[in-house]
Amino acid sequence: MNVRSQISMVFHLDKCIGCHTCSVACKNVWTDRKGTDYMWWNNVETKPGTGFPTRWEDQEKYKGGWEKKHDYIQLRCTDKKRIVPNIFHNPHMPSMDDYYEPWTYDYQHLFTAPEGPDQPTAMPISKVTGEHIDIEAGPNWDDDLGGSPIYAENDPNLDGLSDEQRQQMFAIERLVMFYFPRICNHCLNPACVASCPSGALYKRGEDGIVLVDQKKCRAWRSCVSACPYKKTYFNWFTGKSEKCILCFPRIETGQAPACFHSCVGRIRYLGVLLYDADRIEEVANLPDEELIEGHRSLVLDPRQPDVIAAAQRNGIHDSVIESAQDSPVYKFVKDWRIALPPHIEYRTMPMLYYVPPMSPVMSVRTEKTLDNISDNLFHDIEQARVPMKFLASLFGGGHEAKVVYALKKQMAVRWYRRALTVGDVTQDVADQMLREADCTLEEAEAIYRLTSLCTFEERFVIPPAHREEAIEMMEDPHENRESVGFGFLSGPRRGL
Amino acid sequence: MNDSCRAARKPLPTLWSCILGASFVLLLVMFPESARGQETAAFFKQNCYSCHTINGGRLVGPDLHNVTKRKDREWLVRFMLNPQAMIDRGDPYAKQILDESRGVVMAQIAGLTRERAFLLLDLIEAESALEKSQFEGVKFSDRPFTAQDVFQGEQIFKGLTPLANGGPACMSCHTVRGLGLLGGGRLGADLTKVSERVGGRKPLSAWLVSPATTTMQPVFKLHPIEPEEILSLVAFFEDSAKRVGDDDSVAPLTFFLIGLAGMVLVLGLFDSLWKNRFRAVRRPLVSGGEMRTDA
Repeated sequence: MNVRSQISMVFHLDKCIGCHTCSVACKNVWTDRKGTDYMWWNNVETKPGTGFPTRWEDQEKYKGGWEKKHDYIQLRCTDKKRIVPNIFHNPHMPSMDDYYEPWTYDYQHLFTAPEGPDQPTAMPISKVTGEHIDIEAGPNWDDDLGGSPIYAENDPNLDGLSDEQRQQMFAIERLVMFYFPRICNHCLNPACVASCPSGALYKRGEDGIVLVDQKKCRAWRSCVSACPYKKTYFNWFTGKSEKCILCFPRIETGQAPACFHSCVGRIRYLGVLLYDADRIEEVANLPDEELIEGHRSLVLDPRQPDVIAAAQRNGIHDSVIESAQDSPVYKFVKDWRIALPPHIEYRTMPMLYYVPPMSPVMSVRTEKTLDNISDNLFHDIEQARVPMKFLASLFGGGHEAKVVYALKKQMAVRWYRRALTVGDVTQDVADQMLREADCTLEEAEAIYRLTSLCTFEERFVIPPAHREEAIEMMEDPHENRESVGFGFLSGPRRGL
Repeated sequence: MNDSCRAARKPLPTLWSCILGASFVLLLVMFPESARGQETAAFFKQNCYSCHTINGGRLVGPDLHNVTKRKDREWLVRFMLNPQAMIDRGDPYAKQILDESRGVVMAQIAGLTRERAFLLLDLIEAESALEKSQFEGVKFSDRPFTAQDVFQGEQIFKGLTPLANGGPACMSCHTVRGLGLLGGGRLGADLTKVSERVGGRKPLSAWLVSPATTTMQPVFKLHPIEPEEILSLVAFFEDSAKRVGDDDSVAPLTFFLIGLAGMVLVLGLFDSLWKNRFRAVRRPLVSGGEMRTDA
């Protein structure tokens, strides 16, 4: 057992209201520099939809992630034979059009326009050419199902659906959508790290945050094509790749990352997971249907004495182990098993989990009343407006069972609380549902509390960074303390 | 204190230079006149003999018999030291020599000093007075060349038959047209028409006895080419000059067409190598390429 610690995340999609506050917070903190206009380290997509960049989940085109070939996984975008012809011309690079051409507006014109019969307008100007442009695409072009016949209907996750299911999904009174906020997953088996010819990307030992060394990056852009989630971006101004850094300067000082901190719906949870690094390779090579369970089995119980001992042997600080014991992520992923990794079939072992969203409650009109209780209490899940197959494609690696389990448990908790507070169902019914959903009373209470009444400290259990331990590996910590902060800062530049 | 130290050390170098100077003078005195003459003759053999004879007829350059009577010594020395400069200055006699040599300018001789030039003139004067000069010219067989000679010459040129005394193959620096796809080296001159350029079999043979250019001389000084080898090489050069004839340039259009075909080939190769490359996603989607029409 090779125990390591990873700062992991859970996004509770049933709570996301799609307000984009996270995206804006991130943009204001990190990506409002020159050359980062088009980057959205955090973005919120509407599902069904094609996302950003357009149809990023279509790996036939984008060639991201790993695929299993000859019993062993290898990168889709390149292999040992192709690395030489491809190094100077990466053939799987998304074009600017698949993101969007960044633009601003000609605000000055509002002041300098000659007097005339009409109000002057601020025309959009390309931030690439400086010319007026017709905006054709943006980071959020299909937000709230905008342009559905083109965008929503081309969601790659709809591929497994029958034509009838598709038509129902877009029928005017059954329209359904949910939001899918995305940041870097800080994967256990990151394709970006594996693909970098310069060795510029690395996974931080102490907390598993995946970073690009701006001094080592040589602009090959392999990471851009290798990341199946398209969460590494190339900065054309500095000539270096950039990605979400999980606000590590904030984490190191005990603050939640900007997008977590600002989340209006409080959908985001953050905490440490201890995992077994020796088994990553074995799990990444499992057959598709065993991936989710295998991925979950990598996460170790931080209360088990042998895990604690192994963690201590690996130099994980006691305070980090304690933090892992309080981790809300552990509860969602291991205790309750209702948080699932996105697109596990890419085999990067993402460490950001999603609680799948519930569909709107389906009601039946009888005479003059709306009846929303059917005999089959889990009826809503099977008959949900969002076909299970669609959610399974996103969060189940194509298999429905794990998603159904997560949704049933959420629904049982809902009915359990309804029996307590509204009382229109009896406690017996609620108990039966909990039983069927494999959920104890205490568990239901805990899920309810951490979902609905969670405090800041419960959502974000940030381990002490122990920077001194990391510094100790490089230099004398005393010397570092005495000299740090004095000198020159120089930003990344093009060239060597 | 310091001064006395320096003064104490001073006599030593002075003593050394005294000893060195004395032995040098001694050497000069003991050095026989004939030895200096022999050295000059060796210099002549190495640097001049490939183009000039004394009373043996002209090779590439004129016969030097009684040259000191044709022109004064001062002029001759100036010419020897920098022939190109004399020609550039428009000296009429230098021009005349140039015409007689069919445009071949005398090479700048490495290691030729003013003093040595005078010694050389002395030597030429002395040799001219003799009945039979030792620099009458190398005697080569003038039998007609056979196909075997040409073949042998080509083998030597290409380095397939190594030179007997270990000299490098001609092909490492020179080329002759019609020598296969890539030809030979481009460092030295193109030797396709060398036999015409230097004026035939005799001067070319003489030239190869001790090649006098600054590049070839140090290479071949210690590895002279054997007379039979020279015969074969000259046969090869004469043959190649005849074979190629007047067609001495590839048409520019041919080059252009080869380039064009190469470019098309390379682009085609790239296209097939990266045939699964990424092509636009969003624009085809919006313009209807992949849009579902059943909605």
